[in-house]
Amino acid sequence: MSLFSRRNVLSSLFVLALLVPTFANAYHLFVANLILIYVLLAIGLNVLVGYAGQLAFANAAMFGIGAYATALLQVHLSWPFYFAFPAGALIAMAVGLLISLPALRLSGLYLALSTLAFAQFTQWVFLHWDNLTFGAGGFKSPPISFLPLPLSKPVGLYYLSLITASCVTLFTQNIMASRIGRAFVAVRDGDVAAQSLGIDLLRYKALAFGISGFTAGLAGGLYSQLFNFVSPEGFDLFQMVIQKAMIVVGGLGSIAGSVLGAGAIIVILELLREVKGAQEIVFGGVLIFFVTFLRGGLVGSLQKYVRGWDEPLHGARPLASKQVARVRLDEKESMS
Amino acid sequence: MLLFSYLLLSGITTGALYALVAIGLVVVNKSTGIINFAQGELFMFCGFVAWMVHVQFGQAYPFAFIAAIAGGFLLGVVTDRVAFRSLAKTDIVGLVLATVGLAFVLRGSARMIWGGKGDYLSFPPITSPEPVMIGTIMVVPQQMAALAGAVAIMLVFAAFFRFTRAGKIMRATADNSKAATLVGISIQNVYTLAFGTGAAIAGAAGVLAAPLTLLYPDMGFAFFIKGFAAAVLGGLTSLSGAIVGGLLVGVVEAMAGGYIHSSMMEVAPFLLIMLVLIVCPTGILSLYKARDV
Repeated sequence: MSLFSRRNVLSSLFVLALLVPTFANAYHLFVANLILIYVLLAIGLNVLVGYAGQLAFANAAMFGIGAYATALLQVHLSWPFYFAFPAGALIAMAVGLLISLPALRLSGLYLALSTLAFAQFTQWVFLHWDNLTFGAGGFKSPPISFLPLPLSKPVGLYYLSLITASCVTLFTQNIMASRIGRAFVAVRDGDVAAQSLGIDLLRYKALAFGISGFTAGLAGGLYSQLFNFVSPEGFDLFQMVIQKAMIVVGGLGSIAGSVLGAGAIIVILELLREVKGAQEIVFGGVLIFFVTFLRGGLVGSLQKYVRGWDEPLHGARPLASKQVARVRLDEKESMS
Repeated sequence: MLLFSYLLLSGITTGALYALVAIGLVVVNKSTGIINFAQGELFMFCGFVAWMVHVQFGQAYPFAFIAAIAGGFLLGVVTDRVAFRSLAKTDIVGLVLATVGLAFVLRGSARMIWGGKGDYLSFPPITSPEPVMIGTIMVVPQQMAALAGAVAIMLVFAAFFRFTRAGKIMRATADNSKAATLVGISIQNVYTLAFGTGAAIAGAAGVLAAPLTLLYPDMGFAFFIKGFAAAVLGGLTSLSGAIVGGLLVGVVEAMAGGYIHSSMMEVAPFLLIMLVLIVCPTGILSLYKARDV
């Protein structure tokens, strides 16, 4: 195994991440924590979009549901964080499974529209269900304490995020290397062919939505703690585009790519924090650039130029405009 | 009755604007198979261009109108040349993400150029803003002007597709791109033309909408998603379907806002979309057509 193999790079990143609280100041620790949260989000989205090929736009909504559920269970029912956190993730997963039901009948652009509509609906609920969500102003979420352990809140939360992100990374990497991951890729590359191989489309699409909902819910719970504040603004379309940019920059269909993409995008985001317009231009530009000129994302280049970097299921997508053709054919049929 | 007629009229007016956005989407989709997620941002951007010409440079409204349409056409052509042409062979996920990227570039640019002057810019009204009573029906001249403009634009583009050479070429390509190539039509140029035309329609809609709504960089997305909904309601490839869908979305929105609760106005179209996509994913017009595959 060569020096810069995927496993070695990810392991050294993990060791580096373990050491961050020893040398970072408060702001850098915050940014590092944010990156870990986005690693979770990017992995979940990549499972759904990159592996299973479902063009969904609801991940920001799932993220919001996780954050709201975790924080509201603490505020309204005064649950402790350690129960509310997994419960929030499970609620987000349940909603993910629920929106996968129409997704089973819809494909491509129709799925994009229905999930966009769902995301807008979620945003509206956050804004207008005042009794439950405290409306547009948002609310404070009670901070966790790590009392028996000698950890301050930011450092403790950082390690909790690191543990969660590492577990999810390992877990999804193994899942994607298993029968399930191969089934996702088969669904992505041709659902009729996948079905003829005995893959239950319904089950695997629902599974992909469930996994992405769960990880987004985990990310939401940690996010609510990182800011100690939850408001509807954080979960809008811009949030969705940030996450899409991460998986496109890192590489569609790659867990390692999600990790790298999340890091790269958050660093750019923080550097441009002052000017929102510039943020948007840079993001949009990065998205177009990577889609147009670097289809494989960062891991695509790594695979090409670094010996020993293997991405078995990445970029296997057929390049022909088959899917476009098929969508148009479907429409023609419906027209006639 | 007063409330009903008022809601119906304002619903039809906003519906006509949604229909224009939807027509732009359908024109691009028919020729290229792409949904341009930047359609709403093109609409917003052209609205700002018109504002700049009309308010900052003090030109008359018709000039602003022409400038915005021309600007839209140019933007569409440029984006096709720069970004989409090299993407012609990739899959739908890549294409959609590229248009999303374009949407954010436009939004950011608008924020950088015009955002500093207070995020909400008001466009001076074309006619007097006072409502007029015709019998028992209350009419807002401003809305009527926008509605008339929308209808005029629809007629112009219908004529464009029916009578001009460029329009015929686009229709031929949409019908059967292989056959179109055989008779000597350059598909590449048709794609460019489609993006340009789609963006020009968005520009026209932007100028009409500007006096009714305030101008702000984030306005595009709401118009895009409602226009997209209208296009899907009409089946994504039918121009008349897009108009029907747009009017339906507009009227449902106005009625829900007026009769249930004002906050329902924002969410009713989305509930409608989700319902339609679950019940009949191929558009409402397909319900009336026999399916023979």
